[in-house]
Amino acid sequence: MLRRVRHTTGPADADAFAAEVLGLLEPLFATALRLTRNRSDAEDLVQDTYVRAFRFAHRFARGTNLKAWLYTILYNTWRNRRREASRDTVEVDSERVEQAADVDGPLADDNPERLLLRATLDAELQAALDELPEAFRQAVWLRDVEEFSYAEIAEMLGVPIGTVMSRISRGRRLLFERLSASAPGPAVEVAGRR
Amino acid sequence: MDDCQRTAARVTPYVDGVLPDRERPEVERHLAECPPCRRGAEAEQGGRSVLRRCATRLKAEPLPPGLRSRCEALAGEYARRGTRPWWSALAPLTGIAALVVFAGILLLALATRRSDALLAAQLTADHVKCAKVFLPDARAEAAAVERDLENKYGWEMHVPPSSAEAAVTLLGGRRCLYAEGPLPHVMYQSVDAGPVSLFRLEGVTRRASDIVTLGYRCRIWSRGGNTYVLVTPERQTPQMMQFARYVRAEAR
Repeated sequence: MLRRVRHTTGPADADAFAAEVLGLLEPLFATALRLTRNRSDAEDLVQDTYVRAFRFAHRFARGTNLKAWLYTILYNTWRNRRREASRDTVEVDSERVEQAADVDGPLADDNPERLLLRATLDAELQAALDELPEAFRQAVWLRDVEEFSYAEIAEMLGVPIGTVMSRISRGRRLLFERLSASAPGPAVEVAGRR
Repeated sequence: MDDCQRTAARVTPYVDGVLPDRERPEVERHLAECPPCRRGAEAEQGGRSVLRRCATRLKAEPLPPGLRSRCEALAGEYARRGTRPWWSALAPLTGIAALVVFAGILLLALATRRSDALLAAQLTADHVKCAKVFLPDARAEAAAVERDLENKYGWEMHVPPSSAEAAVTLLGGRRCLYAEGPLPHVMYQSVDAGPVSLFRLEGVTRRASDIVTLGYRCRIWSRGGNTYVLVTPERQTPQMMQFARYVRAEAR
């Protein structure tokens, strides 16, 4: 605990850091919601993440990607919580994920406010996204919505880069298939993979 | 078969436009020749486009009430104390003095082979951290907090309710991370002394002790195979002592 810490200079730096971290609150919450699929858990997760971010602020290397650093804390916090709480979702290894095609349960928390928002957004896209297997959903969210690099995503999810690319690929294709399907129902087999 | 596998590994960066130039011709040639792979690549391109087009809307999730103000409070607290590490907030002392005191506690713990001092230091740090997270004018019902702790984390704990005689109000409960694992943390607000914390370590039995560390007092006791720690300010008022007796009788 008494590791040598790098103190940066001056209060202005702390203000700038605090402001930048706060500015990421909304996208961070949206991502947390994709992880927990439950608003109050997402809220807890974001708050825990912020406590840790400020606690470990001295370990952030200025000049590097603050958003990636914050999201990595989010994912680490999420993994710790899951490990301890051992909820109904089972921790699966990469290989099983690559083979699996089953659908997770529906979104747990559909309050009226969220339903209304869905109606004004692309409702079909939200639903299709939430129905993706979690590993694929996280990968496409981080790549195509948050625009992180493969390496950053690998760091966050704690998997090799090859796995990241494979999950992005499967996720995008599954999403496309679901949106193209004319009727709701079980997932369509993805063509083109040998 | 081989070509399809080789291409499949490259389609994602290809679609993202980050595939090295020298590899593009091979991928494009295969996609031109192989309809299944081409369809797969098109599906991938399609999924990517939809997500990118709707990215802004997808991220525009309304925040739960109170989350922003709590995070702003955390940010404000951080900005106020600057870039000193979190544990320097514990002491009325600052800088080197705090380091020396903290090191002293750790050395004491190692030297005497008792981890009580370490436990007290860690939970005091947690108390200080969590005191910022709870709103002081919140008020919770003990039964609701018990249900919450059980449903979320599987902890069955009797939470002492607010006590009018001791002028202490129950604020809520949460999970706190400690070196050895997570534990329930129940927070109270005392009218005259500020935030008070109760922690429970499951399955741990210790000798009772009363430790003062860095301006806070930790009462440690065991009951029914669990250990409880009550963190209060160092200086004790009659009401605080009454609350401590009350918690010792009630907590289980």
